[in-house]
Amino acid sequence: MRRERSKPKFVGMRLSEEQNRVLSQLQENSSRSKSEILLRGLELLSEYYSLGLDQLPLNLELRSLESEAIRHAEALRQIRKKEEAIAQMVQELGEVDKIIDKYQGRKSALIQILLDIQAQNHWLPKSALMWVAERLGVPWSQIYHIATFYKAFSLIPRGRHTVQVCSGTACQVRGAPRLLEKVVDILNIKPGETDKDQRFTLNTVNCLGCCALGPVMVVDGSYYGNPSTEQIKQTVARCE
Amino acid sequence: MARLGSPAALEKLRKKILSQRDPNRLCVTICSGTGCQALGSEEVADAFVREIKHKGLENKVDFRRTGCHGFCERGPLVVIFPQQICYLGVNAQDVSEIVSQTLIENKLVERLLYRDVETGQHMAHEDEIPFYRNQKRIIFGNNRLIDPKEIDDYIALGGYSALAKSLFEMTPEQVLSEIKEANLRGRGGGGFPAGIKWETTRNAQGEPKYVIVNADEGDPGAYMDRSLLEGNPHSVLEGLIIGAYVIGSTQGFVYVRQEYPLAVQNITMAIEQAREHGLLGKNILGLGFDFDVEIHCGAGAFVSGESSALMTAIEGRVGEPRPKYIRTAVSGIEEKPTNLNNVETWANVPLIINNGADWYKSIGTEGSKGTKIFSLVGKVSNTGLVEVPMGMTLREVIYDIGGGVPKGKKFKAVQTGGPSGGCIPESFLDLPVDFDELAEVGSMMGSGGMIVMDEDTCMVDIARYFTDFLCQESCGKCVPCREGLRQMLKILNNICSGVGKEGDIELLEELSEVMRDAALCALGTTAPNPVLSTIKYFRDEYEAHIKEKRCPAGVCRELITYYILPDKCQACLICARECPVGAITGGKGFVHVIDQEKCTKCGTCFEVCPSRFDAVVKLSGESLPPPVPGGTKVARRR
Repeated sequence: MRRERSKPKFVGMRLSEEQNRVLSQLQENSSRSKSEILLRGLELLSEYYSLGLDQLPLNLELRSLESEAIRHAEALRQIRKKEEAIAQMVQELGEVDKIIDKYQGRKSALIQILLDIQAQNHWLPKSALMWVAERLGVPWSQIYHIATFYKAFSLIPRGRHTVQVCSGTACQVRGAPRLLEKVVDILNIKPGETDKDQRFTLNTVNCLGCCALGPVMVVDGSYYGNPSTEQIKQTVARCE
Repeated sequence: MARLGSPAALEKLRKKILSQRDPNRLCVTICSGTGCQALGSEEVADAFVREIKHKGLENKVDFRRTGCHGFCERGPLVVIFPQQICYLGVNAQDVSEIVSQTLIENKLVERLLYRDVETGQHMAHEDEIPFYRNQKRIIFGNNRLIDPKEIDDYIALGGYSALAKSLFEMTPEQVLSEIKEANLRGRGGGGFPAGIKWETTRNAQGEPKYVIVNADEGDPGAYMDRSLLEGNPHSVLEGLIIGAYVIGSTQGFVYVRQEYPLAVQNITMAIEQAREHGLLGKNILGLGFDFDVEIHCGAGAFVSGESSALMTAIEGRVGEPRPKYIRTAVSGIEEKPTNLNNVETWANVPLIINNGADWYKSIGTEGSKGTKIFSLVGKVSNTGLVEVPMGMTLREVIYDIGGGVPKGKKFKAVQTGGPSGGCIPESFLDLPVDFDELAEVGSMMGSGGMIVMDEDTCMVDIARYFTDFLCQESCGKCVPCREGLRQMLKILNNICSGVGKEGDIELLEELSEVMRDAALCALGTTAPNPVLSTIKYFRDEYEAHIKEKRCPAGVCRELITYYILPDKCQACLICARECPVGAITGGKGFVHVIDQEKCTKCGTCFEVCPSRFDAVVKLSGESLPPPVPGGTKVARRR
C-alpha cells in the first residue's frame, strides 16, 4: 500500500515570494538556517525600534517578518528541547547500561539492578525500566511485579529529603505512633507520600535496629531519638 | 596480598600479624555499630584521631573502630586497652579529657564510667558491669576486639583456623558428624537441626549445590544478625565456607536487607579480602576446594526472609513463598539443592570445629545447645544485644542483664519471636529460654527479638499492631493468610475503637485455627500467634475493651479521655499553650479545662504537664466528672 506523503507542516505565516527569495539567497550566502536568519532579523528589528526607525512602510514589511521569525524561533526551541531530552535520556540510559553491565546482564540480577537504579535516581523512571526490560529480555509485567512488590522501589519521584519514622515493635511500645502523628502534622503529608514541592518524602520503616534510641526518626540518614515537636520543626526547617 | 597457598601459610601470616602487635600497647577502641553511630560515635572517633595527633601520641596509641559491643543503651562506647577501661555515653567534648587523663596520666574519668544503680559504685571494666557480667559472649564477644574492615584483626584472633582444620585435617563427613553431634539448631527461628539440613542437601541429587546466609532480618525489634554481620563478617563467612565444603557447594549467597547499608558494606569488604587471601575462590588454601560468594540485597519485604521466597528472589523474581512439598534443601534455587542458614547459625560453626562438639554441648539445655543472642529492647533499662547460654531464665535476662523495667513501672509481658511469636506474661518469668520451652507457652524463639512491655502497653493494641504489620507484609498468594489477616485486623480494630462485640474473641480464635492449618508458608501459619497468646494470657484486657469499653493500659484512643484534675492544676498555662487544637481553656490563675468536643486525644497535655503537678490524667471506662465552672481559681499549694 502506498502511503501518501504528508505535506510539510506549515509553521507560521507564509512569506511573500519576494521575501522568500531574499531569504533563500541569504541562506545560500551565509550558509545559515532559515530560523537563524529570521532570528537575526528579529535582533535587527529591535535595534531599529530602539533607534526610532519604525516608520510606517518599513514597519509593515518588518512586522510580518517579525511574526514569522518568532514562530521559527519557537519551533527551533521545541526542537532543541526535544534534542536535550533525548540527550539526557541517552545519558540516563547510559547510566542504566553501566548498572546492567556490572551484573553482566544476568536476568537473576534483576532485583539488584532495580535497587541500583532506585539508589541513583531515588525512583524508577519508566524509560529506565523499559530499557532494563529490553536489555535483559525480561517481560515488562515481571518488572512491574517486582517494582510494586518491594517497599524499596518507587514509581513516582521521591522528595529531596527522606524522613523515616521507625515503627518497629520496640519503637511502637515506646511511643512511635505519637511521634509519627507529630511528624505527619509538621510535614503535612502522610506516610508514603511526597509533598508538592518534592521537598520531603515520609516513610515508616519496620525496624532500623537502633532500638535503644526509640522512638526513632531518621532524616536523610541522621538519627533522632524521641525528638520533641520543637526539635522536629528545627530539623525539618534545616532541609532546603 | 599474595594468596595463602596452604594452612601453614595462614599460620605464618597469623604469627607475623601477632609479632607486629604489642598486647601492652595502648589502644582506644570505639563501637561503630549502627546503634552507636546513630548516637554520634563517628564524631567522637574523629575527635579521638585529631586529639591523639594533636598530643603527638600517634606512635604510642592505636585507634580502632570496632563492631557493635551490644550495650546500645549507653553508647557511644569507648574501651581502652590493655586496661580494658570502659567509658559509656562518650561525647566529642569528653575526648580531650580522656586523652589527657587516661592515655597520658593513666587516670580514670569517673563520670564516664558505669555507675551501679544500687551501690552507687563506679565500675571501670566491662566484665564488672552487670550487663556484661551475666552474659556468655562466645560468638558476639569478638565484635569489640576487631575492626570489621580488617581481615588481619580476625586472623590475629585465630580466624580461619577452623576452616584450615576442616579442609586439612577432616573429611566432610567428619565435619558433618561434629555439627550433628553438637546439635546445632537453626537460629533463624525454626530451630531445625543444621546438621540434618546439611546432610539432606549433601545427599540430594543435582549439581551445582548452593549455600545461603540468610541476613534478611525482618523481625521488627531484632537486630543481632545485622550487628554480627557488621561487626564480625569473617566469622559468618568462615562458617559458610566450612558448610559449603561439607555440602559440596561451589557457590554461596549472602542475602542481606538493603536497609542495613553498613552490613552490606562490611560483608562486601570481607568477601573481597577473603578472596585476596585465597580463602575464597579457586583452590582455597591450596587444598583443591573451589567456592565463591555473591551478595544479594533484599528490597524490603518481610516475607522474602522465608526460605523458598528468598530463593525465588535470588533467581531475580518476586520473593513469594511456594508450597514446600519438596524441601528447599532438595530443590531450592533453580530447583537445585540449596542449604540456607541464618547468620548466627553460620557464626556458630567455626566455634564448634575449633572447640569440639563436647565443649559446645556443655553449654545450654538438653534440647538446645550453645548460646543465643537476643536483642533486648522495649521498656527495659539496658537496651542492647545480649548473648546468653540457652536455658537462662527470662527473669535473669530481663532483670539481671537488662536492669528491669525503667521508671518504676510494672512489668507486664515480654514478646519473643517477632510477629510470629507470642507474648509471655509475668507468671512465666522463670521459664528457661530455649527452643522447646518457648514453643510450649505459645511463643517461639524466632530470630531472637525480646521486647519488654510494661503496664502502659495495651495487649490488644500489640496484637493489633502485629496483625497490621503482617497484613501489610502478606504477599497475598494464599487466601487464608491474605483474607484471614484482614478479617482479624478488622475485628481487632473494632475492639480497640470500642465497637467490639461479644463473640469477637471466639471468632478470632476460630480464624486463627484456620490460618494455622491452611496457610501456605510460615508467615501465615504463625501469624495468629500474637493474637492467640494475648488472648490466652490477657483475656481480661480483651473483655475490658469489649464489655466495659475500657482500655486498662490507657492506650486505645477511642476508649480514653484526658481530664485535668481541678485540685491539682496550678494554671501554669503549659498544656494550654502546647495543645495543637486549642482545646484547653482557662487563663492565668484559673483551673484549666479540656473541651472534650475539640480534643483529639493526642496526649500532648498529658506529656507536658510538669511531673510536680501531675494534673492531667487519662480516664478509661469511667464517666467524666462534671466540668468545673469556667473561672474557678486554682487551689494554690503551699
